Amino acid sequence: MVTYVLKRIITIIPIFLIATLVTFGMINLSPVDPAEAYFTATHIQPTDEMLEQKRHEFGLDQPLLIQYVNTLIKICQLDFGISYVTNKPVLEEISSRMPATIQLTVASLLIAIFVSVPLGFLAGIRKNSSIDHFSRILAFIGASIPSFWLGYLFIFFFSVKLDLFPVEGTGTWKHLILPSVTLAFPLIALYTRLLRASVLENLQESYVLFARTRGIHERIIMGKHVLRIAISPMITGLGMNLGNLLTGAIIVEVVFSWPGFGRYFIDAIFNRDVPVIQGYVVLAAGIFLISNLIVDLIQMYIDPRISRKGRHYQ
Amino acid sequence: MSNLKIKKRFLLMSVLILTLCIYLVGCSSESVENSDSTSESSNMITFAWPRDIGTMNPHIYNPSQLFAQSMVYEPLVSYSDGGELKPHLAESWKISEDGKEFVFNLRQDVKFSDGTDFNADIVQKNFDAILKNADMHGWLGFISKIDQTEVIDEYTFKLTLKEPYYPTLQELAVVRPVRFLGEAGFPQDGDTSKGVEKPVGTGPWILDEYKVDEYAVFIRNENYWGELPSVEKIKVKIIPDSETRILAFEKGELDLIYGEGVISIDSFKQLEATGSYGTSVSEPVATRQLVMNTNKEQLSDARVRQALHYGFNKQAMVEGVTSGLEEKADFILPTNLPYTSNIEVNTVDYNVEKAKELLDEAGWTLPKGKSIREKDGKLLEIELMYNSAESIQKMMAETLQAEWTGLGVKLNIVGVELTTQVERFKANEFDMNFFSNYGAPYDPHTFVNIVATEGFGFREAISSYPNKEEILNQITKVQQTIDEDERQQLYTTILSSLQEQGAIVPISYIKKIAVYNKDVSKFTFPANRDEHPFTGIEVNE
Repeated sequence: MVTYVLKRIITIIPIFLIATLVTFGMINLSPVDPAEAYFTATHIQPTDEMLEQKRHEFGLDQPLLIQYVNTLIKICQLDFGISYVTNKPVLEEISSRMPATIQLTVASLLIAIFVSVPLGFLAGIRKNSSIDHFSRILAFIGASIPSFWLGYLFIFFFSVKLDLFPVEGTGTWKHLILPSVTLAFPLIALYTRLLRASVLENLQESYVLFARTRGIHERIIMGKHVLRIAISPMITGLGMNLGNLLTGAIIVEVVFSWPGFGRYFIDAIFNRDVPVIQGYVVLAAGIFLISNLIVDLIQMYIDPRISRKGRHYQ
Repeated sequence: MSNLKIKKRFLLMSVLILTLCIYLVGCSSESVENSDSTSESSNMITFAWPRDIGTMNPHIYNPSQLFAQSMVYEPLVSYSDGGELKPHLAESWKISEDGKEFVFNLRQDVKFSDGTDFNADIVQKNFDAILKNADMHGWLGFISKIDQTEVIDEYTFKLTLKEPYYPTLQELAVVRPVRFLGEAGFPQDGDTSKGVEKPVGTGPWILDEYKVDEYAVFIRNENYWGELPSVEKIKVKIIPDSETRILAFEKGELDLIYGEGVISIDSFKQLEATGSYGTSVSEPVATRQLVMNTNKEQLSDARVRQALHYGFNKQAMVEGVTSGLEEKADFILPTNLPYTSNIEVNTVDYNVEKAKELLDEAGWTLPKGKSIREKDGKLLEIELMYNSAESIQKMMAETLQAEWTGLGVKLNIVGVELTTQVERFKANEFDMNFFSNYGAPYDPHTFVNIVATEGFGFREAISSYPNKEEILNQITKVQQTIDEDERQQLYTTILSSLQEQGAIVPISYIKKIAVYNKDVSKFTFPANRDEHPFTGIEVNE
């Protein structure tokens, strides 16, 4: 197991390097000149000499390879530079907004899990029952409603009409409900269907038949064996969505005025705040890699066959 | 599976869930304290703004928000309706005959919000900090012309310019950078461009509480030297999305929505139609203009430019696109700005026949069986660039495209990001572009100044004007003359000439809007486009 974990951690390194290379390449390919962007953000009408001097200061006059190595060294030291707009270190700006995004992500994932696991499982073991039909309708709705519209609908009904929740902002748990349900809604649709399909597939497996012939109680077969194996695809999905939620809850953050990471990134794009954009992309790559690693570890914990593969049957 | 294993797993899951719950509850209870500390006062106005108020540094720009800076920091001179300049922190001033020396007599009863005195020394210190970063403030004409600043005595301050520059007083009224920070706000090295210690100003409001990207609470400065605001608190909620702002307003979480383009025109009309709220529309704050690049062959002929102006129904377009929230403009600057009220130009009325005649005259004729005019085998094809994030620009571009097709002109419309739009305009890489002037207190002098300055787009765009050099000379002169009549005469000539030759087409007058609940009264729009709107505002408790 330890070897497996180590192996997985080591494979992260080249992937992260590729991610930084792609980020670096994309920023260099874009028509935005960081020196010009800097002066635009600080309201200075630069002369050609000033631009040259700034390019030199940013190291933009050096060969690309050296620029990349320098960027990489800085990234390893967690130095993403200074924001052109706010004049503060990018890391400080991002980390001050991260807790709000994490809070929203955790809440929406919890809601998604607590709703979709029982719903998907029941829909699977009671195929074509009313609960299965309900889950199907929910999945259609969840998959087809864009989150910004769902957000407005929630605000309109639950906040403006019924006065149950505040329209925007943070503060109490009440503030958290609408944005996290909005984010969780499409996930519930996805996970419910994933789990249902997986449960149906597993019910056909011979281990279920074998367990039944052994006279094991149906509840134990379902809860301890079927659910445990069937949940695996859902956890894979969860890992992909964790990264998405941590880096891409932009629309929901804007609709609910949630002071998170995504909103800050949007402002940076409009301001052409190059260090922030670069910092965000690199960090997003890191978050995706780490969340995938976490998911792999969870899967390994649930289904130890994963780490033993190739060894078990020797 | 052994019992021990099940127990271990159960324990692990419990710990995990418990940690998450504690985390979520922790976040909530911490914030409850926050919301309690800003407990809603009945004499408070809650107002929404799309962006965080920023660092509250009086000497820098983005991301600080102008309205917030103007609540805390004050100018020497203030701008009122019609362009009248009134004493503010300076109770009077004297300008030398050569127009180079400005001696300000400062008010003696002014204190900063921390109780320290406002005097000539602190004025000097602020000027030093601003001039240390003069590059950053180069866009403001008088900054680069400052020769020296000196303290004459405790309450007398003298500003000397290298050359006469009449808009100096007007530029002293702008919201940034020439407003005054108290001693306690300065960093040790005195360089405010890197940040301020705390926002200490002389203004009627004090920043009391602030949470980045969430809200800011301003309380009344009880020691304010001027008339004390009737409202005790202003809470600014940061709501980036315009639809959410409207929903929050309808729910009663907001008392006031104010600004330019802060909500859609349809939403404004809808809220107005309910009759449950107060609504106001301001006087024109700027003119929406269509700038034609006379460097481009198709647009180099004044007759083509005139024809295009005659060839669209401006009244119907402005009315239709803005639902009457903007007004058809006949002049390139709103006439409520100083020196702009008597421009001598013939206004252009919609006349398709005349437009066609002018195009024929200019040699752009419509070959039989074709729909686009040609001249020497070249099609009359023009590109109009607009900001894709601005629905008004987009709709106007589409209307022009439809209207001009009828004249035999092919208009290609291209939506770009704001930064690209500005860059392409400055680099002269456009045929036609939308622009709007800066408004009070910057205009008319800033507008004519950017027309004359290389690298802003206009100077290159008017290249085909036969009297371009003359206009440029007049612009230099108008900023230096100290003779009021001559100045008026020059402005009339410059603005008339710029407009008459058709490269700058006035489209509509942009206005601000305000929607407020019925408890809010005495709302007025500030004369200065960038100032806060809370002067004199009242709320029924």
